[in-house]
Amino acid sequence: MTPIVATADRLTISAWSAISPYGIGRAAFVDGVHSQGSTIAEPPPDEHDLPVSHARMVPGFDVRAILGPSNTRAMDRLTGLAVVTVRELLHGAGPPSSVTADRRTAVVLGTGSGSAGSMMEFTRSALVAERPFYVNAAAIPNNVMNSAAGRCAIWHELPGPNATVAGGRAAGLFALSYARRLLLAGRASMALCGAVEEFSRARSWLEFHSQDGEPGVLAEGAAVFAVEPAGGGTGRAPLAELLGFQSKLCLDSDPAKALSECVRRAVERSGGDPADVWAACPSGHSGKLGQVERDVLADVCGAEAVARCAVVEQVADAGAASAAFQLATLLSIAERNPEAAGRMAVLGSIDPGGTVACGVIRPLGSDA
Amino acid sequence: MFSSIGTGADEYAAGLRAGRSRVRPITAFDTTGFAHTNACAVPDFEPERWLRHVSSEEFGRASQFSAAAARMALDDAGLVESDLIESRCLVSVGTTDGESHDLDRLTEMDVRHGPQQMDRVLVRRVPAIRLSTAVATELGLADAEAFTIGTACSAGNYAIGHGLDAIRIGDADIAICGGADAISRKTFTAFYRLGTIAAERCQPFDKDRQGILTAEGAGVMVMERLDSALARGARIYAEVLGYGLNCDAYHPVAPKQSSVAECMRLALDDAGVDPEEVDLISAHGTGTRANDITEVGAIREVYGSAPPRTVSLKSMLGHTMGAASALAAIACALAITHRFIPPTINHVTPDPECPIDCVPNQAVSADLRIVQNNGLAFGGNNASVVLGRYDTTSLDQRKDM
Repeated sequence: MTPIVATADRLTISAWSAISPYGIGRAAFVDGVHSQGSTIAEPPPDEHDLPVSHARMVPGFDVRAILGPSNTRAMDRLTGLAVVTVRELLHGAGPPSSVTADRRTAVVLGTGSGSAGSMMEFTRSALVAERPFYVNAAAIPNNVMNSAAGRCAIWHELPGPNATVAGGRAAGLFALSYARRLLLAGRASMALCGAVEEFSRARSWLEFHSQDGEPGVLAEGAAVFAVEPAGGGTGRAPLAELLGFQSKLCLDSDPAKALSECVRRAVERSGGDPADVWAACPSGHSGKLGQVERDVLADVCGAEAVARCAVVEQVADAGAASAAFQLATLLSIAERNPEAAGRMAVLGSIDPGGTVACGVIRPLGSDA
Repeated sequence: MFSSIGTGADEYAAGLRAGRSRVRPITAFDTTGFAHTNACAVPDFEPERWLRHVSSEEFGRASQFSAAAARMALDDAGLVESDLIESRCLVSVGTTDGESHDLDRLTEMDVRHGPQQMDRVLVRRVPAIRLSTAVATELGLADAEAFTIGTACSAGNYAIGHGLDAIRIGDADIAICGGADAISRKTFTAFYRLGTIAAERCQPFDKDRQGILTAEGAGVMVMERLDSALARGARIYAEVLGYGLNCDAYHPVAPKQSSVAECMRLALDDAGVDPEEVDLISAHGTGTRANDITEVGAIREVYGSAPPRTVSLKSMLGHTMGAASALAAIACALAITHRFIPPTINHVTPDPECPIDCVPNQAVSADLRIVQNNGLAFGGNNASVVLGRYDTTSLDQRKDM
């Protein structure tokens, strides 16, 4: 069948921010990408009984310490990461990054299944309590996977279109695709879109089992991008064009072939030649699928393009935030490499459930 | 589609017309300790009867519902898999809970036996993208863009709206979209704890309403451009004229009236329809005290003091969560096609604070041209879809389906 290849009709990323193992904010991410450091640390002391002893945590991220005690008592980590990242995007580093949101600003966040930690804790409390309904009512909003996006709207007063998209490892790309359609359909004039993932005991065990007991290092955080039509009246110089997005479902147990087709198609439909791709970013996951991503991207775009992005491993395995971190990594690399301007960059993703996806961007040269 | 009152378009339409409901004690999990335990489950679901390519071991119940409903929708549309080869396809499935029932079971394993004992087959079923992966797998849609929308109890309308946008802007020729959810302890417990679970029946707009009955099911529709539908002689149930979406940005669970009203207006504007042209509103109508009074207030803001008849399908179906607005949209399309209004059943005493004609208890015949279908959700995620009857005198500027 004929695939949808979403070409972006001149959409641009005009600003972004992130919270990651590199720290809080875009500058911390960019510095981290260029610093050659390692992001591995121990999980927090109140997490016990974990399948792995290390994780790439956001250093010192305490939701209530950062956002204050009002309205944060029952805010889970996932929601906190999203709310603070959007805060950084809207109010963070100052010019040229400041973003003004209004009624026509959409919020689109990608997720895996929301906060598994909150949901499993809720059910656990129901199972061990004297009565099965002796549960914390304040935690109920965290039971649904749109709570992070909904809370961003409340916290930052954003009444525009607001969506949560479940897309596995490629959730950030699906969020961009969804946001692109909102913009092209005229339902919003700007979209804040990205993805978020938290570290938790629940997630650790779910990932442990879904990878057949191969313990991997988990990362956490969020990256959110301000996306608007080229020439959108905000006056910000765009950082990159979104050229295309392509996804596919691998139905024949050959994810390498599926990703390869996906990347070739996405690049060609974006008007490019895979051999000319300047940077090709895999997810950086340490397991089998991560290796397949690297191999396919090297095969299609060249080993140099992939090697340029090896640093992405410092923010992997970020689960549902993987593609968003891959995009942030590409933008960070491009920001301090003038030769990236005008070249194509791609990110590729293979999700264990069989979805493969590719995003194509064109960095436009560094901002101030 | 799958619901507690009917499987497939014909049985479902008959159930709606008859004002059917099917309320039974929950069997999906151990309900010891709850004072009341009724819900509206899909009875006797046999996945093998419907699914050709999706394994009921590798996919959870909500995913099985999605895929089976999609298979049924494709058949009902008079299409086969090979028809889709030349088409660009979008698959969007809305859900509230994904495979939360499986996650609950994993939690139980963790609590009783420790985390090493979590079942790996169940773990792999949990990610919410599995619901849309199941549809694409079942229909052999390797090249479809397939994702799951997790906007809670309005997700079905979000999925439909996104399909509409994909077709309108020329990304897709066909959108297979809808919503699905399965009963879970997590969700039942949450609503129970909030005091919003009814003991015996769901009574939207009734003075003595007590809340929801949790429920499950899936509604999936095949949407395509009008010219393509006409070219292949498709049976058209309805046109999707437009939709609107917004966010209350107000409270994690309580709805905001002015924002709900604004969402309805956005949908009408998108559809190019004036309020006076709307013949029926399918309300979100959960039967909670808060929703019904807020939603009727919003309806009256948009439509004035004499709004169209306004029904709640949840009176019959229970609250099917992410499937709700999709099942409701399908019900609206069937109502348009078969010219009747499904009733709001269990209506005993009108609530003076909810002044609308809710077509109580009995279906009525009606020549419906335009229907508005509301979905409101926790997190303030609102989406409203406007459907219209397709007939050969429709104006050219009417859009898809």
